[in-house]
Amino acid sequence: MFEPQAMTKVIIAGSKDYMGVVIDALHKHNVMHIVDFVNEDNDFKIGKPYATATKLSERAVSLRSMASYLSITGKEDTPGRHPEDAIADEIDEKTERLSFEVTQVTHNISDIDSRIKDINDKKRLLDPLKSFDLPLDLYGGYRSLAVFVGTAKELPTISDITNDYELETAPYMRGHAIALFVPREFEDDVLKRLQEQGYSALSLPEIQGTPKDILADLDAQLIELETKKETSQEELRTLRERYIDYILASDEYLSIATQKAEAPLRFATTKNAFIIEGWIPTKNLADVQRDVDSVTDGHVMVATDESEQISAEKVPIALENPMPSQPFEVLVKAFALPKYNEIDPTMFVALIYPFLFALMLGDIGYGAVIIGIGLVVQRRLKSKGIRDLARILVYAGVLSVVFGFIYNEFFGVELFGASGLIPSFYAYPMVPRFDNIATLLVFTLVIGILMLTLGYILGFVNEYRQHGVKHAVFTKASWLLLLWGGVLVVIEILPPLTKAAAISISPALLAGFGIAVIGLVLLLVGEGIVGITELPTLLSNVLSYSRLLSIGVSSLGIALAVNKLSYALFFSKGGFFVIFGVILLIIGHAVNTALGILDSGLQSLRLHYVEFFTKFYRGGGMKYRPFGLIRKYTEE
Amino acid sequence: MVDPTAAGLLGIAAALAVGLTGIGAALGEQMIGSAAVGAMAEDEGFFGRGLVMTVIPESIVIFGLVVALILLFVTLPTI
Repeated sequence: MFEPQAMTKVIIAGSKDYMGVVIDALHKHNVMHIVDFVNEDNDFKIGKPYATATKLSERAVSLRSMASYLSITGKEDTPGRHPEDAIADEIDEKTERLSFEVTQVTHNISDIDSRIKDINDKKRLLDPLKSFDLPLDLYGGYRSLAVFVGTAKELPTISDITNDYELETAPYMRGHAIALFVPREFEDDVLKRLQEQGYSALSLPEIQGTPKDILADLDAQLIELETKKETSQEELRTLRERYIDYILASDEYLSIATQKAEAPLRFATTKNAFIIEGWIPTKNLADVQRDVDSVTDGHVMVATDESEQISAEKVPIALENPMPSQPFEVLVKAFALPKYNEIDPTMFVALIYPFLFALMLGDIGYGAVIIGIGLVVQRRLKSKGIRDLARILVYAGVLSVVFGFIYNEFFGVELFGASGLIPSFYAYPMVPRFDNIATLLVFTLVIGILMLTLGYILGFVNEYRQHGVKHAVFTKASWLLLLWGGVLVVIEILPPLTKAAAISISPALLAGFGIAVIGLVLLLVGEGIVGITELPTLLSNVLSYSRLLSIGVSSLGIALAVNKLSYALFFSKGGFFVIFGVILLIIGHAVNTALGILDSGLQSLRLHYVEFFTKFYRGGGMKYRPFGLIRKYTEE
Repeated sequence: MVDPTAAGLLGIAAALAVGLTGIGAALGEQMIGSAAVGAMAEDEGFFGRGLVMTVIPESIVIFGLVVALILLFVTLPTI
């Protein structure tokens, strides 16, 4: 719970005759984290994959391309599972048939697509000429006439070159469509003039008929093609319906088979033997040993290596926490995985994170909204990370409602009490935030001091386990003494300072100084001058917790502003304006809810990462990746 | 009786505390934010850490906010 899962180093060795069954057994258990063998020498070589590997991956490539044609993502749910043997028997023949059917349809579609594109190109060329009545073949092919067909920004003026011309124009887009016929001898001059006037030529397709008729004809063709395309896509959907089960199952089968076939690449092998090195969670060890023994009749040895010298960095890390705190593993992993001999902070995060979040947000209304959002996201989305975050949001929402009752806030409105919405309710002591700024400020700093203390204690435990008691005292206990010595001193001298009174030398003050000095000396011995330069961070770490108050009060401030604005602008006018008032309320509070989630969430996380974790947590563990696959679509 | 001049000055002080620290934090976050986005382009796993680093300068505003709150809710009622 407070540590990563216990792992045992395992070495499996045996004759190559048994390699296949051992791979099957390990894959089935899905618990062994294999350490890849890399240092080849004269005796040990990296194993060769089974010959089937190439064929399997080829098949997988073709199957996945079919899947992408049919837009199958591999995350779909399918009822029932396919037995592996049945897939193995028919996969060749069935994949071939599927590939044939699918490519036929997709070829058809891409053919239609290219024809549609062709027609659209023609339409684009003919569109400027649609109001000209001249058949298309008359726009060219004259011996004595030059023809300019295209678009121009301005109407062409060529009367100073020749008056012997025929011009058709029509407004088109922001310029004009033009068709200009001039005698050949003026061709060059006219072209020059036209170019000055923003002329761009159209290269007309070779079709008979007037542009208008051709366009109508093209449109008809387009509609026909669209219908055909729709039919083909419908066929594709039918194919998807029919084959989705098969594709998902055989893709999984191929992944598993490929994994198994390529596994020897991670083993050390000699001519006749193989050795697998890796880690198995200690609780699963006995099962694996028993299974390997039984499938190989005891011909393969599963040995454990419990030598002390194994460095903690080399052990793969799997977090292990009871269900309610499991979602918080996401937050820890986003920072870093713990090392093997380090405390796993997930439990502490699970206890503290929602509390800090709620302390900031603290509003019955917002809390309820957040619970709702969390539940909906949890139900709708499938990604594990997002669902975990949603679960955290629900916890935080519940506590926010609790703090909402304490602060007596409902969307920024006073809910209970003499000036509240429900005046008759007095049953418990409430702490309205605006009236208790000073008290709450001290409260947040106390939380900070307690959390830092916890951090240093955890740090002490970590250092003690990694480097011994001396190191732990110098690097962690020293800071703890400094923190508490400082706290005592501040408690004694701050009140007189604010009242400008004289500071009396009390025993507590002396004790505080004493403790701090001892801490300082320990720190000097342990970390030297560098430690001293770190001293101011202690103060800023504690003060940093004041955000618990200020973020909350600003969120309350926004809520109040929304409420007062909507009242002053709309509700006070009554009648029709009430609708606008309601809209303003909804938008304002929606924005504030979003800000509340983002700000409270991030700031609470920051207080963990920056202030809390730095006291004890380094992380840097390697992720545990068991050899195997969780089957979703197939069964053995 | 609240002295109107003192109250006004306190209001200005509170506004400066929030406004100036806001500018400071914005300058810091601008630099960190662009660097974090750059790092994320290399490695998407950086998102979590990048986000946290980006909000680190926010402390400054929060200190400013705390000062403003103390001025308005603790000091103001006493004058």
